[in-house]
Amino acid sequence: MSDRPATGRILTGADVRRDVEERPDVCVVGSGAGGAVVAARLAGMGARVVVLEAGGHFTRGDYKMQEAVAYPQLYQDKGQRATADQAITILQGRAVGGSTVVNWTTSYRVPDRVLAHWARVHGVEGLTPEVLAPHFAAVEERLDIREQPLEEANANNRVLWDGAGRLGIDRSMVRRNVRGCQNLGYCGMGCPVDGKGSMDLTYLPDAVSGGAKVYANVRATRIERAGRRATAVHGAVLDPRTDRPTGRKVVVRPKLLVLAGGAVNTPELLLRSDITSGGRVGRRTFLHPVTAAVGIFPHAIDGFYGAPQSVASQAFVDRGPGKVGFFLEASPVHPMLASTAAGGFGPEHQQVMARLSHLSALIVLAIDGFLPDEEGGTVSLRSDGRLRIEYPVRPEVWEALREGTKTLARIHLAAGAEVAYSLHQDPVAIRSEGDLRLLDRAPWEPLRVNLFSAHAMGGCAMGRDPERSVVDSRLRMHLLENVYVVDGSVLPTALGVNPQETIFGLAHWAAGHIGAAIR
Amino acid sequence: MAARRRQDRVLLPGEREGRRGFLKKGLLGGAILAVGGAAWLATRKTRPAPELGGPFQVLSAAEATVVLAAASRFIPEHWRFPGPGQVGVPRKVDAILEMADPATQKEVKRLLGLLENALAGLLLDGQFRTFTASPPEEQDRRLQAWAASRLTVRRTGFRALQKMVFAAYYASPETYGAVGYPGPPGAVTPSLVREPERRREAEQPAAAERPPEPAPAPRPRAPRPPDVPAPRPLEEEPAPRTGVGPAEKREP
Repeated sequence: MSDRPATGRILTGADVRRDVEERPDVCVVGSGAGGAVVAARLAGMGARVVVLEAGGHFTRGDYKMQEAVAYPQLYQDKGQRATADQAITILQGRAVGGSTVVNWTTSYRVPDRVLAHWARVHGVEGLTPEVLAPHFAAVEERLDIREQPLEEANANNRVLWDGAGRLGIDRSMVRRNVRGCQNLGYCGMGCPVDGKGSMDLTYLPDAVSGGAKVYANVRATRIERAGRRATAVHGAVLDPRTDRPTGRKVVVRPKLLVLAGGAVNTPELLLRSDITSGGRVGRRTFLHPVTAAVGIFPHAIDGFYGAPQSVASQAFVDRGPGKVGFFLEASPVHPMLASTAAGGFGPEHQQVMARLSHLSALIVLAIDGFLPDEEGGTVSLRSDGRLRIEYPVRPEVWEALREGTKTLARIHLAAGAEVAYSLHQDPVAIRSEGDLRLLDRAPWEPLRVNLFSAHAMGGCAMGRDPERSVVDSRLRMHLLENVYVVDGSVLPTALGVNPQETIFGLAHWAAGHIGAAIR
Repeated sequence: MAARRRQDRVLLPGEREGRRGFLKKGLLGGAILAVGGAAWLATRKTRPAPELGGPFQVLSAAEATVVLAAASRFIPEHWRFPGPGQVGVPRKVDAILEMADPATQKEVKRLLGLLENALAGLLLDGQFRTFTASPPEEQDRRLQAWAASRLTVRRTGFRALQKMVFAAYYASPETYGAVGYPGPPGAVTPSLVREPERRREAEQPAAAERPPEPAPAPRPRAPRPPDVPAPRPLEEEPAPRTGVGPAEKREP
């Protein structure tokens, strides 16, 4: 840990003009919620850290608040990521800072009941609310995580607050990692006023001032191993303008490797490196599958402006044995996102779009991974090398989405909506309580109702048993003694809350023993 | 022979390889394909639309014409909405595809070929016509048949097309007026943004900051055939939909 530079830097693909080899203490692959926090903590402990990030390095002037620009620029697969059957659109960030650059800033600690479930069912040892509490507290302070005041909720979130309130459904204000937030409403397209506590503005600068070197536009393509150790990570340099390989290579030969590419890309990298952990890598992928109900109101909602998420309801997270819980939140209402969410085509779709400014969009997120035999989805590689994400939606998840849609429709009506629509390709219109039964008759099947996910989790599940998990309870791979996974892929189930803060906290905690393992 | 082998390898976005045979049988009828449907198809050429707005990197002119024809049913003619051709939907779909993996590009090209396929028209509508040569109501039926198909793989194809077309169209600032979206707040700097935000809130009831209702724009697109009902005025209550159920018709 000697001879580290006084200060690190962020390089982009344009800065790498010849092949590079690095020999740091730690290589972190991915600069999102997991990777940035680990990198900052390890650099702070004096470790020499190299971070590889496939996405570009952007600053506030790059964020144009235009969906046509933001999705190709800042999202995985240029915004086109989806399950193989196209039934679930998957939103994941791709930039220096990962998904924290584009998420809607909602911040929750992992619920105690989830930690207890992991201990009981998945043999996760030592992860208790008490152990994690100081780490969450540190993260919350660094990122200014605090509750959004009700008076700053936009009209779309007010629909959830007022409607649920009138129906007696518990709801609460959301905590957000923001500072100097102007409530513009463009969190999903990169914050143009640096109002977010995203990783590119917080933990990554911390890492850099601790000496870490961050390579943007470098996609990790393969892990090289010898026996039970990873010996190198090979990276392809991408042109920041075209995102295509320049032919330059970055090879990192670290003492320790931290994988933090997220719940899709970390399994993908392991699989590309023929590291399958007995077929468990890329299994147990959970998505918090989402659908929505949109309400049309007589007055303007302007859901494209204002903090996208400030109200949530956790009233239905525990629906009893055999049932899948769900939680309720709001979604921003920008034209492209709304148009791809609303079902159907032609005049009826146009009719909904024409009332965009009067439209409220509320979402239901199903909490997957808790049923006894629930395996979720898979991440794998096709024979032609492309990534394949599959997610068979279980009947219990469909039931949760259906009941959640009913609840959202009731909330819309209670808040004064003229009509609420489901996201079916043949949209169900609900104008009164009596119409709710139409949702029982509607088809809850793939591609008959539009689904989304912004919370990819799992794929390298943690647990005690090497026969059932990929990493141990301290996030080290069972198979490789110098490789840790520190991102959403270690979660053995979904969370029932937006995952970013759980990943921050886990990373902050894990960095302690990862740092101690550097020799 | 070569053409037939290519048809055998039809693989839509996300389709499992094991479903090839299923698709062939379910979509076009295995028997017809087996006697050389692809060669037959070749006798029905797609006539490139004059307003395509190329050049294209991924799509052929014929494929771009199919995209434009589908987009014109997804977003049918309405005085408030600029036409998909005006917005450059084929070019924008082409740009989306250009960013995708070559294998994905190939799948989407096959999808467009299947949608255009005259044999599919024969099976679905009893008319041996390509999609682009069909009248609008038949195009709607064919798109609906894909959207509501029993076969997941056809719904997959429809969803892929739907997302591309809507993304290309509604992410275009030219369409913001039609949906009543004022666009992103202008001149965003930390010192300037607070004020417009407050002003917007204060004026929300009066909606003074919202742009006036757009005036009817001159429409270069071809007029709708007389047998197709004009779109309802968008300010009206949504009229009952087909296929939703009886309660749809109750008084609100």
